[in-house]
Formats: sequence, structure tokens, C-alpha cells
Amino acid sequence: MIRARLLAATLAATAALTAACGYDATPLPKAEQSTTPAAPAASAPVECDNATQSYAPSNDKGAALKQLINKDRLVVGVSGDTYKMGFTDPTDGQLKGFDIAFAQAIGKALDIPVELRVISAADRIRMLDEGQIDMVARNMTVNCDRWTQVAFSAVYYNATQKVLVGLDDAAKYAGPGSLAGKRVCAPKGTTSVANIKEIEPDVDAVEAANHTSCLIKFQNSEVDAITGDDTVLAGLAAQDPYTAVPQQEKLTDEPYGLAFNKGDDALVKFANSVLDQMRADGRWKAIYDEWLKPTLKVDATPPAPQYGRQ
Amino acid sequence: MSQTATPQAAPPPPATAPAPVPAATAPATPGQPGTSYVDTPALLNRWQLIGMSVAIVFGIVSALLQFAGWQSDGRAADDTEQLLRVQEVKTSLLRADALATNAFLKGGLEDPAQRKEYDDAIDGVLADIANAAEAQPADRRALAALNVEITDYATAVAQARDNNRQNYPIGAEYLSGASVELRAAALPILNELIKANQDRAEDAMAGQHPIWLFLLGLLVLVAFVWLNRELARHFRRRINKGIALAAIIVLAVTLVTVIGAWIRDSSNDSLRDGEFATAVHEANARTAGNDAKAYESLRLIKRGSGSTYESTWEAAAKTVDESGTRAASEWDAYTEVHRRIVELDNAGDWESARKEAIDESGEAFQPFDDATRAAVETNGTVATDDLRSGRWFALLLSGLTLLLGVGAAAAVARGIGERRREFS
Repeated sequence: MIRARLLAATLAATAALTAACGYDATPLPKAEQSTTPAAPAASAPVECDNATQSYAPSNDKGAALKQLINKDRLVVGVSGDTYKMGFTDPTDGQLKGFDIAFAQAIGKALDIPVELRVISAADRIRMLDEGQIDMVARNMTVNCDRWTQVAFSAVYYNATQKVLVGLDDAAKYAGPGSLAGKRVCAPKGTTSVANIKEIEPDVDAVEAANHTSCLIKFQNSEVDAITGDDTVLAGLAAQDPYTAVPQQEKLTDEPYGLAFNKGDDALVKFANSVLDQMRADGRWKAIYDEWLKPTLKVDATPPAPQYGRQ
Repeated sequence: MSQTATPQAAPPPPATAPAPVPAATAPATPGQPGTSYVDTPALLNRWQLIGMSVAIVFGIVSALLQFAGWQSDGRAADDTEQLLRVQEVKTSLLRADALATNAFLKGGLEDPAQRKEYDDAIDGVLADIANAAEAQPADRRALAALNVEITDYATAVAQARDNNRQNYPIGAEYLSGASVELRAAALPILNELIKANQDRAEDAMAGQHPIWLFLLGLLVLVAFVWLNRELARHFRRRINKGIALAAIIVLAVTLVTVIGAWIRDSSNDSLRDGEFATAVHEANARTAGNDAKAYESLRLIKRGSGSTYESTWEAAAKTVDESGTRAASEWDAYTEVHRRIVELDNAGDWESARKEAIDESGEAFQPFDDATRAAVETNGTVATDDLRSGRWFALLLSGLTLLLGVGAAAAVARGIGERRREFS
């Protein structure tokens, strides 16, 4: 009996010692619970008589310079990934494009260097409001709602909102109705998402950081279509031969303006005077022909400015 | 079934030996028939069994404790190697990311040397993952998940390159997406692997048990003293030679093994707080340094987004500073260049900041990377070599303990056998 107990105790001790040799499997990190923020309550759209109406031009450079955050340079928020509009050229790392050319023109007229800052669409108003940038030249649509937060120059380009689809779907595309039940991508903080949902409520809207991220999602089969301004979509289509912007009616008008801080009316007036000069001396057309005509494949004329805002 | 015998029934002692003391010392009270008698041979048998069992159990348990210590040191060395391997994976990944982002910052065709360095880093990562999966089965599930993330990362970087070569800005978006995903998905897995292996290595280094060996020896000696006292009460021998010899064996084995385990335990403590800790700290510093370097490029690629990326650079730099790295002077030299880049960028001179990042920053960072890498290798090798050194002696001692336990049991058997012979 004693022998059996001793044997059992010895075996138990052996088992206890050898049991210590095993390892627990390394845990995987816990998946973060997706915290989808509740959609903000839709506020009533701000109405106004003429959103595209800006302040009368003025060439008072001194007054404009006084309103800069830094007296020695113009800080401009631009896109770094919108091909042909505002993008980093992979060959030399320089920011180039249609919007960038307008920013450079304003800086040149002020006779100070331009500091370009790559910002997202969602950051445009916030960074102006926080005084981090003097101006936004980032395909920003002028509308009544935004006029309550920022000040716009006269319209420097009239874009329209359209839809980009896969090359195979381009021939079948018959307007927004074709997008019912489809996943359509647009950047956060833009008017595109609200516009497409208003026109076709059955669209499954997917947001991304910017339009280029939308194209990555499209290439990874995470979305079926992308909506945005025709200028932007043409740049996306130029980067992927398996996409197309089919012949279609425009969804909305998207007049672009340069945006400034709400109180910087002297800067806005000075910018309007520069834009006037660019329209008159052919620089506007030259910039358009260099950056947008090759992808949009149509001639364009500069939009007529509307002034009179008090 | 036990045999009972009265003291009177005991045979006369040999002429040369003193008469054995009757087993039952209480004299029979007159008029009280049925006085209990002790069966001395059975009692001797029981004592012999107890003594031998105690000696054998001592031999087995002591040998097992030493064997566990021997195993533990081996595991500590293996776990340390695995820890350094997964830390190398993390560092190499961030190094690869720093190289990829720097190449994009430069623009144009990628520098072939830098491209090769990136490819070598990814190849090294994949080889390390395969080796790590073979070395530690408990890590396999995590390593498999990591492999998926790294494949996704490498694919995204390849797509970034392909698009970049066609001058499409979507290339930069693929790259920044890959960097974000690397930090969001792959690094948390690596952090779990590092934590698990660091815990395992430190636990294994605490695998020597001098106290247990001491208590075991003490318990066995107490048992022998008790046994000897019981024998002395029944036989006129104060000390049983066999039990005394067994006690001496147990005492000697206990002393040697306790001292050996204590020395080993102290050595492991020194290693854990010395070379092992240094290897871990230096690896942490190198990882955080490369993380910071990638953020430096990203702040410039995302032109003008300095405030966003600078806070992440500073968090990584704080990790380097707090790591206690011995390459602090090399790190300071790099941070000087970084400060200049920040000053230039914040002053709106992005072009000069980019030039500084391309021309100076990489050159300033390299000595820090080299120094921390060398420190990890040197200290890691010392730690694993030390943990593996002298293990043959521990194994030999473990086997010898088992044999000496058997020897002690034999001594007990012989010692009690003598009493039995005297009795019969």
C-alpha cells in the first residue's frame, strides 16, 4: 500500500514538473470593435441668393499681405493625390496640377513664396478656421453652406459631378438608377456623398480618405463605382485603363472657388483681381490646356466671374 | 497475516552482539493476558521499505528538479533566441518601411542599393518567420496571421512601385496605405509575440529551484533521523551505519545541488538584468528608431502634414530615449538632423527639408542602426551562450543524483538488514 502511494506521489511530481514544459499559444491581438459614429443629424441646407457671387476684385496687395498668417509666405492647402488637379509628381516629388498652378499664380502676384500643404478634403474648412493655412486650392465647391464658414473667390472652374465605373459596365451605364444597390465611393467631407444619396437613395455609399483611396478600393473590388467631380474622375481613369467615365448627364454643378478665412476679404479681393488677369491674359487657358484638356478632351473657357457680395 | 511474537520468543542474541531491546517496551501486567506484542521482523521490513523509498524518492525528485532546471535553462536560451528573432522581424519591417518611404520621398527611379536593402529586409523577415514557426510551435498561429499581413504589405508596396514607375500618384497612396496597415495590423501581432516570448524567457530563467532542493534534502534527512531514532529505541545502537551513510549521501547531494542551483539561479538573475535586458532594450530602441525614421519620411511625403506626423515621431523617439540604449550619442546625432528638417519644414522650406532628409538623415541614422543591431547581436549571443554553458554538467549531476538515491536506498537496506540479521 505504502509502495503504491509513494509511486503515485512520485509520478504526480514527475507529471507536475513535466507539465511546466508546455507553452500556451501566443494570443492574437483582439480585434478592435468598429465604432461607427452615429451619422450626424442632417441640418437644413443653407439657402442663399447666389453662392458663386464673390467680393469685387482689388489689387491692394498691402491689405492682402496683412491678412496672411505668416507675413513672408502664402500657406496654401492643396491635394497631393488628385491626378492633374493637385498631385505629387513621382518623377521629382514636386506638387503639380491645375489647382497648384492657381496657388502659385496668387503667390507670385503677392510676390512671396508659396508653402504648399497637402490636406484632405475633410480638413479644408477646419484648417482655415484654425488659422493653419491662408488659402485652399483643392477642387473646393462653392456653395451657400460653406459661405457661412469661409470666404470664396470668384469661380475659377466649373466642374460637374459624374460617376466612374468599370470599363465593362461603362456601356450599360444609364444614369444614377444603374447604381441602385451598388457600392459607390466618395471622399469624406465632400458634397459628392450627399449628392449621390439624394439622387439615388438606394446607393450603398462608401467613404474613403480621398479619391485615390477610392480608386484603390475599386481596384481591390471593395466598391463598384466612384463618384466625384469630372476633373477628378478623369485623373483617376487616366491611372487605370480598366475604368471609364461613361457618357452621362451631370449629377450636379460643382463650381470651384479658392477658399479663404471668413474675415480675409482683402485676400479674397486680391485673388479675384489675379483671377481676372489670368482670364484676360490667357494664363487660365494655358493652365487648363496643360493639366485638364488632355484628360477631359474638351476645350473650355474660363467661367465668368460674379461680384457684388458685400 | 502479520506474524506476532513475544519478546520471550525472540531468539537469543549472538554472543558478540548485545541483546536486542524488545519491540514492545511496556511490560505485560500480571493478570492481563493478551498483552500486545510487536512483530519486529515486520516492523524492520516496514522501516526498511520506508527508508529505501524515501531514499529513492529523494533521488528521483531531486534528479527531476535538476532535470527541470536543465530543461528550463535550455528553454530560456531558446525563448531568448525566439524573442530576438521576432524583434528582428519587427525592426526589419519598420526598416523596410523607412526605406520604401524614403525612396518615394526622393522621387524618380528608386536607388538600386536602397531597393536591394528593402528586398533583403523583406526576405529576412520571411525567413525569420519560417524559422520562428519551426522554433516555437506556440507562436505558429500568430506567425501565420503575421505572414498574411506582411504579404499584404509587400504586395501593396509592389503596387505602389508599379504605379510610381508609370508616374501615377496612386502609387504614393498605396504606399501610405501600406504603412498605415502595417502599423495597424502587423505590429500588434508582433507586439503580442514579443510580449509572449519575453515572458517565456524570463519565466524559464527563473527555472532553478535551490529552495525546493534544500527542503527536499532537509525532509529526507529528518526522515532518516526519525528512522534512526526508531531503530535506536529498539536496538542498542545509537547510530545505524547504513542510515548514516544514506544521510551523508543525501546531505552531500543536497549541498552540491543546492549550491549548483543557487549559482545557476544567481547567474540567470544577472543575465536577465544584464545581457538579456540589454539585448531587449537595444532591440526596442532599434525598432522605435526605425519607426521614427519612417515617420520622418511620411511627414515630408504628406507635404505640410508635419504636425500630424511629428507627434508620432516624438512618441517613437521617446521610446528610444527611455530604452537606455548605449547608442544614445548616435541617436542624438540623428535627432540633430531631424530637428533641422523640422525647422526647415515648419519655416515653409519643404524643398530644403526634403533635401536634408534624403542627403543627410539616412547617413546620420545609419550609425545608430548599426550600433543597436551590434548591441542586440552581442548581448543576445552572450545571454544564450551563457544559458547553454555547463548544461552537460547539470544533466550529469541529475543522473548521478538518481544513482546516488539508489545508493542511499541500498545503504538503508543494508543498515536495516544488519538489524534483521541480529534479530534472527
